[in-house]
Amino acid sequence: MQIATRTTSHRSINITTKHIIKDVIGDINGTPDFLLIAYTPNYREKRQYEQAMSKICEESGTQNVIGGTFPAVATSNDIPTTQGCSAMAFKSSELNIHSSVSYSNIRINPDKGVDKLIQLFKDDQNRFKTGFFLTPGPFFPPDAFKDMKILDSIFAHKFRGMFNMIGKLINRNMGKNGYGVTSFAYKMLMKLLENNVENALGGATIDLNMLSCYQFQGENVFQDAMVGTVFSSDTLNFEHNWTFDKSQKTKSFELSKGLKSSSYVHEINERPAHEEFLELLGMSKELYEEAFKNMAYASLLYLSTLKSKNQGNLPFVSVCHPTLNGVISTIPEEILDESEKIAEFFTQSGLGVQKSAYECANTAAQKIDHPVFGLFINCSNRLLIAGDKIEEENKMVKEAIGTDVPFMTLYSGGEFSIIKNKPIYSSVSVHGLVAGYNNSSQKNVVL
Amino acid sequence: MNFSQGIGSELMDLNHLDEVEAAILFRIDGDVVDSSFKEEYSHNLLRTIQWCKANVDKVSLEMKSNNLNKVTYELSEFCVIFYVVNSIMILTTIASKNANLSLLSIESKRKALLISNYL
Repeated sequence: MQIATRTTSHRSINITTKHIIKDVIGDINGTPDFLLIAYTPNYREKRQYEQAMSKICEESGTQNVIGGTFPAVATSNDIPTTQGCSAMAFKSSELNIHSSVSYSNIRINPDKGVDKLIQLFKDDQNRFKTGFFLTPGPFFPPDAFKDMKILDSIFAHKFRGMFNMIGKLINRNMGKNGYGVTSFAYKMLMKLLENNVENALGGATIDLNMLSCYQFQGENVFQDAMVGTVFSSDTLNFEHNWTFDKSQKTKSFELSKGLKSSSYVHEINERPAHEEFLELLGMSKELYEEAFKNMAYASLLYLSTLKSKNQGNLPFVSVCHPTLNGVISTIPEEILDESEKIAEFFTQSGLGVQKSAYECANTAAQKIDHPVFGLFINCSNRLLIAGDKIEEENKMVKEAIGTDVPFMTLYSGGEFSIIKNKPIYSSVSVHGLVAGYNNSSQKNVVL
Repeated sequence: MNFSQGIGSELMDLNHLDEVEAAILFRIDGDVVDSSFKEEYSHNLLRTIQWCKANVDKVSLEMKSNNLNKVTYELSEFCVIFYVVNSIMILTTIASKNANLSLLSIESKRKALLISNYL
C-alpha cells in the first residue's frame, strides 16, 4: 500500500498546489486511487480553488478526489498551517476507495445527498467498510444575531409556536441571519443509520472569518455540498473513536425551557437563559461581550454536554449573544426532545485538548495491530484553544497510532461519526478513524 | 532559493494573511534583517514598527531570561507577536487589533521554524 502525505504553505495557491503535486502525487508510483485535499480558506476566491483542483486532477490522472477548506490543516509529517494545503494520496490493491459522490444542496435536502453515500455502501461487498464525507459548515456573519433581535424579542417569547416555524425557516433556508450545521448533519447520520451503515466519519468545512468555505469533488468546487466516499477492504479494519476534553467538569444545570426547532434555549435552571448562562460562566455581561465580540458563533472555552439516551454525554456549543434573551445551542432537535435535559458544564484547556486527542487516537489504535493510516476531524474551536501548541496535539496523535503511520487532521466546523451503529453529532470534539491490519479477526476474544 | 529570497518569501507569506499589517525579522539589537509590509500602511503602523525596533532588545532579553518562545503585546491599534527564531533573531508580526491571535500564532510559529532553517 502506498500512502503519501504533506502539508505545505505559501501565500499563493499556485505555489502551494505545485508543492502538493510534486511531494504527494509525485511520491505515489503511478496514478493514485484517491486523493484527500484540504486547503485553508485564505485564498478566498472560488476560481482559485477551481484552478487548483483542476491542476491536481490533471497531474494526478484521477478524478477520485474529495476535500474542502478548513481554518487549519495538518499531516503527520509537517507542522500545521493556517495558510496552505494538506494532502493525502492512496494507492492500494487491498483498500477499495469508491468513486466519490457529491450533492450540491445538502442544507436543504440532506436525505437526497445521503442516498448517494448509501448507494456506495450497498454496492460494496467487502467485509470491512466505512464512510467518509465532508459538508458545509456554520455561517454566522458578525451582524447575524442583531438581525435576529426582532425575532427574539417579539416571536420567541410571546408567540412561541410561530417562532418555531420561523426558526425552522432560518435553519433551512440559509437566510441572511446565518445558518448552522445541526439541522442537516443529524438527519444525515440518522438516515445512514436507518440504512444499516455501521461506521462513518464526517466533518464540516468552515471559515472562521465567516467569508467563504468550499467543498471539492474531482474538479468541482461547491459551497453547500456534501462530498464523500466509502473505504472498504477484506483485510484492512477501520476503527473509529471520538472524545472531547472532559477534564474540568464544574457544575450541572437544567435546560428548563427551549424551542426545539431552532435549538434555542429560553430558560436555564428556570431563569432567563442569557442571565443564567453568564452566571454559569461566572462572567459579567460586559466582560463576555468584550471577550467574544468578534466571535459571535461560539463560546469557545465553555462547553456544555447533554446526556442523550443513546449517545452518552454529547458536547454542544452555546451562543449567548448580547442582543438575544435566550441562548442558541447546537443540540439536535431530536436530542432536545428527549426527556432528560440535565446538562454538565466543562471548561476547556490546552492540556485537556491535547490529552483528549491522544485518548481518541489511542483508543481507536489499540483495536488495530498494525495501523496503516489515520484521519481525524478536530473542532476548529479546539484549534483556537490550543493556538500555536496545536503541534503538540499532533505529536500525541503520532505517539498513539505510531510514529511512522501517516495521518491527516482537518480542523472543522462540526464533527460527526457513526461508530458501531451509534450516531455521534457533537461540538468541540475530535473524531478519528484508524485503519490497519489485525493479526487475527478474532482479536479480543478470549476462549 | 537563496538565503534572503527564502526569508523574504516567508515574510511575504505571513504579510499576505488578511489581518497582518507587517512581518519583520529583527536582530536582537534592533537591526532589521528583512521585512514585508502591506502596500498601504498608516503612520500609526510606522509608529508601532518604531516601537518594536526600540524595544526588541528588551523583549528579547526578557524572553531569554524567562525561557519564552513567544510574547504578545496588545497595543491600542495593533497586536504584536514576537517569536524566537534563534538566539539572535526574532520574528515580529504586527496585526490589526481584531486579529485572531490563536490562528496567527500558529502561522507565526510555522514561519519562525521555516526561517530558522534558512539561517
